[in-house]
Amino acid sequence: AVIGRAGAMAAAASMVAAAGGGDFSDLREIKKQLLSVAERSRERGLQHSGKWAAELAFALEPLPLSELPPPPVLTEEDARDLDAYTLAKSYFDLKEYDRAAYFLQGCKSQKAYFLYMYSRYLSGEKKKDDETVDSLGPLEKGQVKNEALRELRVELSKKHKAQELDGFGLYLYGVVLRKLDLVKEAIDVFVEAAHVLPLHWGAWLELCNLITDKEMLKFLSLPDTWMKEFFLAHIYTELQLIEEALQKYQSLIDAGFSKSTYIISQIAVAYHNIRDIDKALSIFNELRKQDPYRIENMDTFSNLLYVRSMKPELSYLAHNLCEIDKYRVETCCVIGNYYSLRSQHEKAALYFQRALKLNPRYLGAWTLMGHEYMEMKNTSAAIQAYRHAIEVNKRDYRAWYGLGQTYEILKMPFYCLYYYRRAHQLRPNDSRMLVALGECYEKLNQLVEAKKCYWRAYAVGDVEKMALVKLAKLHEQLNESEQAAQCYIKYIQDIYSCGEVVEHLEVSTAFRYLAQYYFKCKLWDEASACAQKCCAFNDTREEGKALLRQILQLRNQGETSSTDVAAPFFLPASLSANNTPTRRVSPLNLSSVTP
Amino acid sequence: MASVHESLYFNPMLTNGVVHANVFGVRDWVTPHKMALLVLLSELGRAGAQLGLLERRRLNRLLLPLLQGPDMALSRLRKAIEECCPHLARSVHIRLKLMAEGELKDMEQFFDDLSDSFSGTEPEVHKTSVVGLFLRHMILAYNKLSFSQVYKLYTALQQYFQKDEKKDGADENEMELTNPEELDGKMEKEELDGPLREEEIACSGPLSQKQAEYFLSQQASLLKNDETKALAPASLQKELNNLLKFNPDFAEAHYLSYLNSLRVQDVFSSTHSLLHYFDRLILTGAESKSNGDEGYGRSLRYAALNLAALHCRFGHYQQAELALQEAIRIAQESNDHVCLQHCLSWLYILEQKIFDSCVLLEHSVNKSLHFGLPYLASLGIQSLVQQRAFAGKAANKLMDALKDSDLLHWKHSLSELIDISIAQKTAIWRLYGRSTMALQQAQTLLSMNSLEAVNVGVQQNNTESFAVVLCHLAELHAEQGYFAAASEILKHLKERFPPNSQHAQLWMLFDQKIQFERAMNDGRFHVADSLVAGITALNSIEGVYRKAIVLKAQNQMSEAHKLLQKLLIHCQKIKNTEMVIRVLLSIAELYWRSSCHIIALPVLLQALALAREYSLQYLASETVLNLAFSQLILGIPEQALNILHMAIEPVLAHGAMLDKGCAMFLVAKCQVASAASYTPEKKIEALESAISNLNEAKTYFAKVDCKEQLRDVLYFQARLFHTLGKTQERNKCAMLFRQLHQELPAHGVPLINAFK
Repeated sequence: AVIGRAGAMAAAASMVAAAGGGDFSDLREIKKQLLSVAERSRERGLQHSGKWAAELAFALEPLPLSELPPPPVLTEEDARDLDAYTLAKSYFDLKEYDRAAYFLQGCKSQKAYFLYMYSRYLSGEKKKDDETVDSLGPLEKGQVKNEALRELRVELSKKHKAQELDGFGLYLYGVVLRKLDLVKEAIDVFVEAAHVLPLHWGAWLELCNLITDKEMLKFLSLPDTWMKEFFLAHIYTELQLIEEALQKYQSLIDAGFSKSTYIISQIAVAYHNIRDIDKALSIFNELRKQDPYRIENMDTFSNLLYVRSMKPELSYLAHNLCEIDKYRVETCCVIGNYYSLRSQHEKAALYFQRALKLNPRYLGAWTLMGHEYMEMKNTSAAIQAYRHAIEVNKRDYRAWYGLGQTYEILKMPFYCLYYYRRAHQLRPNDSRMLVALGECYEKLNQLVEAKKCYWRAYAVGDVEKMALVKLAKLHEQLNESEQAAQCYIKYIQDIYSCGEVVEHLEVSTAFRYLAQYYFKCKLWDEASACAQKCCAFNDTREEGKALLRQILQLRNQGETSSTDVAAPFFLPASLSANNTPTRRVSPLNLSSVTP
Repeated sequence: MASVHESLYFNPMLTNGVVHANVFGVRDWVTPHKMALLVLLSELGRAGAQLGLLERRRLNRLLLPLLQGPDMALSRLRKAIEECCPHLARSVHIRLKLMAEGELKDMEQFFDDLSDSFSGTEPEVHKTSVVGLFLRHMILAYNKLSFSQVYKLYTALQQYFQKDEKKDGADENEMELTNPEELDGKMEKEELDGPLREEEIACSGPLSQKQAEYFLSQQASLLKNDETKALAPASLQKELNNLLKFNPDFAEAHYLSYLNSLRVQDVFSSTHSLLHYFDRLILTGAESKSNGDEGYGRSLRYAALNLAALHCRFGHYQQAELALQEAIRIAQESNDHVCLQHCLSWLYILEQKIFDSCVLLEHSVNKSLHFGLPYLASLGIQSLVQQRAFAGKAANKLMDALKDSDLLHWKHSLSELIDISIAQKTAIWRLYGRSTMALQQAQTLLSMNSLEAVNVGVQQNNTESFAVVLCHLAELHAEQGYFAAASEILKHLKERFPPNSQHAQLWMLFDQKIQFERAMNDGRFHVADSLVAGITALNSIEGVYRKAIVLKAQNQMSEAHKLLQKLLIHCQKIKNTEMVIRVLLSIAELYWRSSCHIIALPVLLQALALAREYSLQYLASETVLNLAFSQLILGIPEQALNILHMAIEPVLAHGAMLDKGCAMFLVAKCQVASAASYTPEKKIEALESAISNLNEAKTYFAKVDCKEQLRDVLYFQARLFHTLGKTQERNKCAMLFRQLHQELPAHGVPLINAFK
């Protein structure tokens, strides 16, 4: 055991030394490391980590023959366990875990020992899943347990104390701890694993799942390697720190990973998270060109297509995925979205249910199912589905938002405040929650709070561009004509600066109000400009004409005004220079108690 | 053990997003513990006639908690049976051993045989009895098990049994001396097992639905009636979390968690639990109701209402109002009058916080009676009575109303409301200044057997009414100078309502008030001053008043006057008449202390009028005493004596010791003053009677340990004896006076001029 241990340590140490520093100057070295770790992961049956490393390696330039990493050196122990290992690995690959574990009993080499423990773990997991599917459909967590976990923990903790675990062993120990809900210990072990074997992506990924906020991230002491950059980018995406994540990914691309499908997909997901739909869509399209048989992340893609109501594209995607593999969670999800877009909500719900059967821990499906039930007006089932989503992941803001919407539909504006607030807490810079909150406050006649919400929604960047109109209408109600006019002006600027005029109705009301406001203020030029704009819309045409006549009359009575016509004030070009709206993002201080 | 249970466990309320029906119709499932119970039952049936009467009775009493309670280890079960009947315990053990060490077919055979107990012309077990139901549940649950589950059950049984055996073995092993090496190995193993074992103890397997329901209802009723007996908040929360982990759809657990969070005043988690509860309830409600939509609409209304209650409890009145409006709107839309009534009552409570109007309440009472909601109705009557009492309505009518509502309570056996009603009577009698009546009511409640005691097996309920009554009792005793008794009562209160519990604030306030009074009597003003802060924290008005009294006692007249004026305005605004009168009395006292008796008189008359109007008899008599004193100083002692006759009777009957003493002292003073104009014989007679009155006052003062007043009385008595020429008595009094005078610092105010 001593020799094996020393050998592993030496190998790990050399790797750390090679990987040291967060720089990407030596891409060849990185490629070598990736190839070797992919091989080592595969040997241990860690397919996902192997896949990740291989994918990343594929994105880099191919190595000449001379520089290919040498096959791993076999130690005395490895040789002794080789037969058992070879046999067991083939059983393992055929998912006969118990059988594999049986033949690996008593093996001393690190590789064989890891496979032994790992197959025992997987056997427990498989039995657990079998039991779940066998009896009762998606069960809740905690009801059926992996029985092997406790024994594994005891054995692994002994080894851990004696410091006999290599990077993979530590990773397995961490997984066992996490499954036993011992989160704190698990984090420590994963950090240790990352230190010992920084190239193993699995350990980093587990760490991502366990870290819930930025503060926790700050206090981790992580190894300073190039892998850390990938980890940070990933966790920033998870923690909704999209700006930082995008920066990291950009720098990774600049460092030479521009062909990595992993990075491209992550960037697409990040754009999806900040609702930059166009960018996300184009990146996804690019991704599909590069990797046409990819199923991962396609659920996100379908969400985007859904939001944009791109029926043919979604239909094509659904059929394509169905051809590739119809029993994948993502496929079910895409098909569900497709049906939902075609307003066949029952079928959509069915497919989301199927997704859940395939993977009860697949969070998105619960939320989507909730949406479908909402569409079917089955509020109670929707509430249940959302609650399940929250149970799986408390930080799922869409589920909280969905619950809020449900209660809003049930005409309980006060009651839904709580849910919207939760959603807002999770996504403080998402305008949709703020607008929803504002609407609720408006219904409750708490106009001050409502104003705060709308203003804030505008300040953080309003997606639907409705916050300003709503704010303006509130000001109108409160007879604060000055502010109302300001809001309308800002709104018009916003709309025009986007270059697309989608909602005629609101634009026309804005112009109408402004025309009347300027008319009252006796600013004839501005008033007539606005009135002319009004004439462009059907619903305000008559009013605009009437106003124009009045203005003309009054002008003729009064002195002739200066004739130099300045550039229309509402056009962005003239105003964005001197009057950029001050987007102060002050803390949202709602007077009401926010539990 | 737990892990084996879990795999066996199947949740009857399945969740695939839609269907939550009781899929298997089974609320219970077979566990090794249940099998042990089954063995016990069958052995019981077999032993039958051989058992003695006593053993049989003991066993029968044991059975119910076993059937309802959570699963326990075999050793504990065996011990419990052994205590009742060692013979039976042995045979149960043997049967289990045979089954566990035998084969699977032994277990199958056992279940096949179980149903035999129902058959025959004279079955051992009646089908619908508690035991019969249990047996049938178990048989049904067993029959529903799939092949692999049956096998799992059997292995679980084996482990269950082996664990017990191992434990026995371990106990024996410990006796022996093991060699050090082995000990090391054992230690290490223990170390590793340590945390695991702890977890295992914490979650002793999932509770079945029935067990969980029993647990929840028990804890909930304890929370309501006797908080101290319920599990501590932390451990209760732990249990609940455990329960929810295995059965997240168990909505009631969320509700209990809400109550538990209320206990520790945690807004965040209580809101969270409450909303979660209703989110869960909506679905179950929808199913239980045949008329579709109605079911969950109902729970929506109550969800909003409960949210209002929550906000009200935490003092967020504005939020509460919004939530309540919502509840009312939904209830109105769906024509739910019962819910509307509840809303109305809450509306009243909320309105009360802002301004008092009894229109709403009267309306609520009428409607509640109409819809047959006795609880709500009499709760309404009670708050109505309370409000009217403060508003000075005729006492006989109030008592009549209380009597009527009492009838209602007894009819519907609403024991909680009976308690409240008695506590309220105590408080009202005290408000009116009839301490004997208050005392009697308080004692009634304390010595009454509560209706609920029979059900729960709790000796006495720790509800708010008990706290109120005990507090009054303590204060009454303190007033009479029984300080030891009062502190005994307070000690009892502290035990029953630990400082962080819901009603602890009540006794805290009374405790400090009593201490304050004592400190004032002893003339330790600095101590009293330090208590003021504590009182203010619990009741700001009372605190300000006490502060003014301390200032007055320290001769800081202008500060005291300012404070009292402010307080007077505030109390008049919030219509706290009792406090208004007390403040007026204090202001009057300030005036006569500064020798402005003329100004004091109208103030006193105003106080007297108010006290009469609101029938606060005791305050009225106190005002009369003050009035008499002013008249005495103004030189009309005859007039003073006349009005004193009005007041002296109630004071002697109901007053505190100190007041009694003051009253008698004042009488004596008036007698002496009026005797000046009498003929010599009459004068002597008057002085004699004054001396006897002074003696009485002396005994009163001695009881409450008021040395200052005692000294004054002695001085006065000595002077009287001197006038009468009784030298010996005079010297005695003078000597006593001198002793006291040396102890106490000289008084700033001339003796005769002080009334209190």
